Amino acid sequence: MSGLPKRILKETERLMADSPPGISAAPKDDNLRHFDVTVAGPESSPYEGGIFKLELFLPEEYPMNPPKVRFLTKIYHPNIDKLGRICLDILKDKWSPALQIRTVLLSIQALLGAPNPDDPLANDVAQNWKENQSAAIAQAKEWTRQYAN
Amino acid sequence: MDMSSHPLLSSIDEAPPFPPNHPQLRRLDRSVVCQICKEPFQAPVSIGCGHSFCSSCIRSSLDVLKKCPSCNEPASEGQIRRNRALEEITDSWEESRPIIYDLAKPPPQPQITKKRPAQELNPKAASSSGTKRLKPNSSRETSGSRSQSPTKSRRSNDSDHDEVQNGEVEDEEDDVQELTENDEAPCPICQSTLPISSIPLHIEKGCPPPKSKLNGNGNRKGNQKADWKKVFSGQSIGAKNKDKEVEMKRITKPNYALATPADLRSILSDYSLPTTGDKVTLISRVQEWIILFNSNLDTSHPSSLSALRAKLSDMENSKKRDKERGKDEMINQLGSKDGLQKYAKDKRSEFERLRKEIIERDRKRKEQEEGKGGGKDNAIEVE
Repeated sequence: MSGLPKRILKETERLMADSPPGISAAPKDDNLRHFDVTVAGPESSPYEGGIFKLELFLPEEYPMNPPKVRFLTKIYHPNIDKLGRICLDILKDKWSPALQIRTVLLSIQALLGAPNPDDPLANDVAQNWKENQSAAIAQAKEWTRQYAN
Repeated sequence: MDMSSHPLLSSIDEAPPFPPNHPQLRRLDRSVVCQICKEPFQAPVSIGCGHSFCSSCIRSSLDVLKKCPSCNEPASEGQIRRNRALEEITDSWEESRPIIYDLAKPPPQPQITKKRPAQELNPKAASSSGTKRLKPNSSRETSGSRSQSPTKSRRSNDSDHDEVQNGEVEDEEDDVQELTENDEAPCPICQSTLPISSIPLHIEKGCPPPKSKLNGNGNRKGNQKADWKKVFSGQSIGAKNKDKEVEMKRITKPNYALATPADLRSILSDYSLPTTGDKVTLISRVQEWIILFNSNLDTSHPSSLSALRAKLSDMENSKKRDKERGKDEMINQLGSKDGLQKYAKDKRSEFERLRKEIIERDRKRKEQEEGKGGGKDNAIEVE
């Protein structure tokens, strides 16, 4: 227990006492570095009404290194691939130890509201998104209805 | 959800925040907090862009990425300068905080404390000035908390701060002021008498009755344990340090790519640290030590070398424990599609609970909003 930095304890406490709208996160009983997360699709996005499951892990080097986050729920999004990996700058080169779990989850929620097909992770999705946006959005809505309910 | 119910969080101990009707005080509270560890500054330093952090925090951060964590500007260790004014401000704010907290407290208003049940359990936190600053290295206790625990009782003489920072520190003088890790003290939980250095581990193991001797079985692990014990038993500290006075000068980082294990061992032995382990272990030990040692030179409240060694040993032990628990296995498992599916299946009920929580909360919010008449919050708010 003494191994767990106080920052993680405090972040967890605040996150659970006062979580941002549409976001829930809870550490596992046996491992406080490992969180089960759910994020609600933002309003007026194709993901509205869906509730997406994610998994978040704080590596040993956190906060010097970013948390590892993955979608567990299938999602049709140009910046999220089949395995649920997320293309988000702050999870990679734009990470800073001043950021925290809360800001990461808010950014992921924002990413759902603002897909960016110009920086794709799932190439087929991104292409579809660029070439036929309305069809892509319909597909995203369909997947949300099918998998995220 | 009630956080105090989580078994691993029950130990959190923090001064309560100022009530929301005092935004200035909340702001002041935040302004003496390091953006990396989110704790009040310890040994604050500034870098080129003007942002300030705890010395050890920014040193660790720059080891990984040569940028300012707050503004992303390129930064390097050479830019680090002590920020004495900020240290003074942080210290005096920490000292005044309990007084101001009491003054600012509104007449009994339960809805604030209700939200933070974990803190309500610690009414002391509001009145004792030492509580908020609970970093293990803390040596800034005010007189109120100084007498609480033997490990913290080292600072009795505040007037010699300035001598310490620019000159050499005499170990003898330090020894007079503090208990060494080898002294015995009662465990704060079960009251059995133990060497101070072994108390954290003892508590972590759930207070087993003290054994006369720690069993040193196991191969390399056992060696390292024995080695750390030697360090704390004063053997090397007492004998070596007198011949070879440790220079209180910043350690220059070796080039880890080129350094041989022998080079690393020689650095470690200069500071009477264990030299066991493979190259990876040695490198991480040297890295951590350099951060601890160099940042200890950036404060008017330096810790003794033996306290730093104890800290290093704690860090190494907890890292090892984390590894042994195989935490990274989970991540690897989640890298594969099957693993992901299995995980999602296993955790279905947990996710279901979280999902319900969100729906429930959204519903409540909607109700509230309707009641209020449409003052809608933006979904995305950044702190």
